[in-house]
Amino acid sequence: MLAAAVASFATACGSAAGQPAGKVAIHGDNTSWAEPLAAAGAEMKAVSGLELVPEVIPSLESFEQIVKSSLRTNKTPDLLKYWSGYRLQDLARTGGIEVLTERWDEAEAQGWVDPTLRDAFTYRGEVYGLPMNLTYWVFFYNTEVFAENGVAAPRTWEEFLGVCERLHGAGITPLHATADGRWPAFIWFMEVLSRQDPGFYDGLMNGRESYTDPRAEHAMATIADFADRGWFTAMDMNHVDAAAGVVHGTLGMMPGGTFMTPNFVAAGGEPGGDVDAFVLPMADPSAEPCMIFESSALVCTVKGPDRDEALRATGTWLHPEVSAAFSGTLQDGSPNPLVGPANPMIEGITHTVRDERLRMLNRFWELGPPELVEATVDDLAGFLLDPSSYRSVLRTMQGRAEDAWQVWREAERS
Amino acid sequence: MSDTLTTAGRARGANARRRIPVRKPHQAARGSGRNRALGGPLAGVTWVLPALALVGVLLVYPFFRSVYGSLFEDNGFTSHYVGLDNYARLADDPIFSRSILNTLMWVAGTLLLPVLLGLLLAVATHRLRLGGVAQLVIVLPYAISGAATAVLWNFMLTSDGAVNQALRAVGLDGLTHAWLLEWPHNTVAMIVASTWQGTGLNVVLFAIGLRAIPRETVEAAELDGASGWRMFRWITLPQLRAVTVVVVGMAIVNSLKAFDLIWILTKGGPSRSSETLALTMYRETFRLFHVGYGSAIALVLSVIVVASSWLYLRRQMPNAARD
Repeated sequence: MLAAAVASFATACGSAAGQPAGKVAIHGDNTSWAEPLAAAGAEMKAVSGLELVPEVIPSLESFEQIVKSSLRTNKTPDLLKYWSGYRLQDLARTGGIEVLTERWDEAEAQGWVDPTLRDAFTYRGEVYGLPMNLTYWVFFYNTEVFAENGVAAPRTWEEFLGVCERLHGAGITPLHATADGRWPAFIWFMEVLSRQDPGFYDGLMNGRESYTDPRAEHAMATIADFADRGWFTAMDMNHVDAAAGVVHGTLGMMPGGTFMTPNFVAAGGEPGGDVDAFVLPMADPSAEPCMIFESSALVCTVKGPDRDEALRATGTWLHPEVSAAFSGTLQDGSPNPLVGPANPMIEGITHTVRDERLRMLNRFWELGPPELVEATVDDLAGFLLDPSSYRSVLRTMQGRAEDAWQVWREAERS
Repeated sequence: MSDTLTTAGRARGANARRRIPVRKPHQAARGSGRNRALGGPLAGVTWVLPALALVGVLLVYPFFRSVYGSLFEDNGFTSHYVGLDNYARLADDPIFSRSILNTLMWVAGTLLLPVLLGLLLAVATHRLRLGGVAQLVIVLPYAISGAATAVLWNFMLTSDGAVNQALRAVGLDGLTHAWLLEWPHNTVAMIVASTWQGTGLNVVLFAIGLRAIPRETVEAAELDGASGWRMFRWITLPQLRAVTVVVVGMAIVNSLKAFDLIWILTKGGPSRSSETLALTMYRETFRLFHVGYGSAIALVLSVIVVASSWLYLRRQMPNAARD
C-alpha cells in the first residue's frame, strides 16, 4: 500500500504526462500565451492533424525550475516555450533538447522564417529552437496625450529629450522605469547603451568588453541624469499599471516589448489608435541604427513522452497559417516574413525596421551566461534605486562577469 | 496473573461479581505462549514501520542527501567534489550575511509583534461581552493563504499604494515611503503584513489558555486584593506559560521559514535586499542552479531551526515533560 502511495505521489509530482494521440502539450511561463498557443494549435490541426495543448506555469521561476529539473527524466514536457540566445545554449549543452537544424532549413527554404534570426537559436552550428514570435522593444505612448502637449514621436535623441522635458513640464511623468518583478531592471541599461554604442553593447553582452569601460559608465550616467531630473516613475510600478498610466494619460512613455500590447488593450487602449509605439532614436547618429528584439524559442525535448509527435509539430510551427494564428492572437510580431502585421502599431514598427535597415540586437536577458544575467539584473535594480552608485555597481557587475564568463568558457572547452 | 477490581456488582452477591483484568506497568511486556508472540518487544515495529518509512523517505534521506550534496559544486547536470568550499563561500558572501540579518529581523519581529499582540488582544477580549466576535474578526486573516495576503499587501505597500495614499490624505506626506524598495523598510513592512495575518492564531491559543485558568485561582487572588497589572503579571501570565511555550516555539519556526509572503511581495529584492535564508537557498538552488551551495545554505538553515527550537523547548518545557 505504501509502495502504491509512493508511486501515485511520484506520478502526481511528474511534470508532464503524455497526451492522447494527435495532441502535444507545450509548456510556457506566460498565461497570456495560452490563447495564442491554442489558436496556433487549432490551425496546426488543420495543417498537419496535430493539436497543441498549452500548459502554462504562470511563474518564470517555477517554469525554469521545472524544465531544468525534469529535463533528464521522461516526465519532462514535450515542447517548451523557452528563451533564445545563451539561455537556449545553456539548455542545449545539457543534451536534453533536440537539434532542429533540419526543420529550420526546411522553413527557410520555403521563406517561412527570417534567416537573420538564426544565430539567436544556434549552438555549435546546430539550431536548437524555432522562433515563435518576434517582439520589438519599443517605447509605447499615447498619441492623444502627445498631440495635446504639442509633441510627436521623436526621431532623434534630442527630440526624445525634448518630449521628456515637455511632458515633465506638463505634470506628466515622462518615463516608466521599474525594478518590480526583478527582470525589468535591465530595460533602461539595454535601451540606452544600445543607442549610444550598439557595437559596444554587443561586445559587452558577449563577454568581449568590460562593464567598467567609460562607455558603460556613460550609459549609466545618462540614466542617472534622467532619474535626477525626475523623469522616472516609482520603481515599483509594474507594467500593467504603467500601461494603464499611458492609456489614461498619467504616464508619458513606457519602454517594453510588443508582447506587452495586451496590457494596453486591457486598459482600454487601441494599438495603432490612441496607443502607438516608436523605436528609441540613436543617441549617436553616426552609429549603426539598431533596435532590440526578443524571440521566444519553440524547443523539443529528447525525453518527452510524446517526442515523435512533438518533432512533427516543429515541422509545421512556422507554416504561415499557424504563425499567423499565433502572432495575430498574441498581437505581436512574427518571425515568418509571409505573415502580415497583427495590428497597425506592429505594421508601423515593421516599416521602421525595414526602411531604416535597423540592426536587430538580442535582448539583455538572452545575452550572456544566464547565471550572470540573473545576478546583474539585481545589480541594475540596486542602481535604479540609487542612481549615484553606478560606478560601484559597474565594478560589481564586472567582477561577476569575469567569474561567469570564465565558468562559461571552461564549460565550452569541456 | 491479573489483579481484580471489584465493581459495584459486589453488592449484588458473588455470582454477580465482575472481574476486570488490569495490567500493571511491569507486566506490560510479559505474557505467555500466544500472547508473548503478539506482544514481544519487536511487535510494535510493524506498526511503526510506515511512519518510519515516511519520515525516512521524506525527511531523513533528503537531509543526508543535502549534507552530501553540499560538498559538491553542482549545476544540476554536472558536479564535482569541493569539500567544505561551499561553507567557506558562505562566510564571504555578502548576500548570505544580509540573509542572516533579515532572518534575525524576522525572528525578532515575529516574537515581538504577533506574540505580544496576540497576548494583548486575547486578554483584552477575554471577558468582553462580544469578545468572541472580536476574536473571530482578528482570526479571519489567518484563513487567507500567504499568497493572497501578499497580493493584498502589495496594493497597500507600493509607492502609489493605499498606505501612502492614506498618509497623503491626512497631510502626513513626510511619512510616505517606498516601503518595498528600500532596506530595512521592506523587511519591516513584510513583518507587519505577516503580523496582520498570523496574530489571530495566537489570540485563539492564548484565549484557550485563559479559559483553562482555574476560577478558584483567580478568585483567591482577587480576595488577596490582586487586580489589573498585578493580577496579569502574577496570576494570568504564569498560568499561560504552557500556551506561551507553544506560541513562541511556533513563532520561531514560522519566522525562520518565512517564504511565500516575501517571494510574492519582493522576490527577495530589490537587489536581493530582503532575502531571508529560505529565499537565498531557493534562489541559489533553483534560479542560479548552484545546487551544492544551495544545499549548504539549506543545511545552515536546518541547523538554526532545529537548534533554536530544541534549545528553546528544552529550556521552557516543564521538567516533567523532559523526564
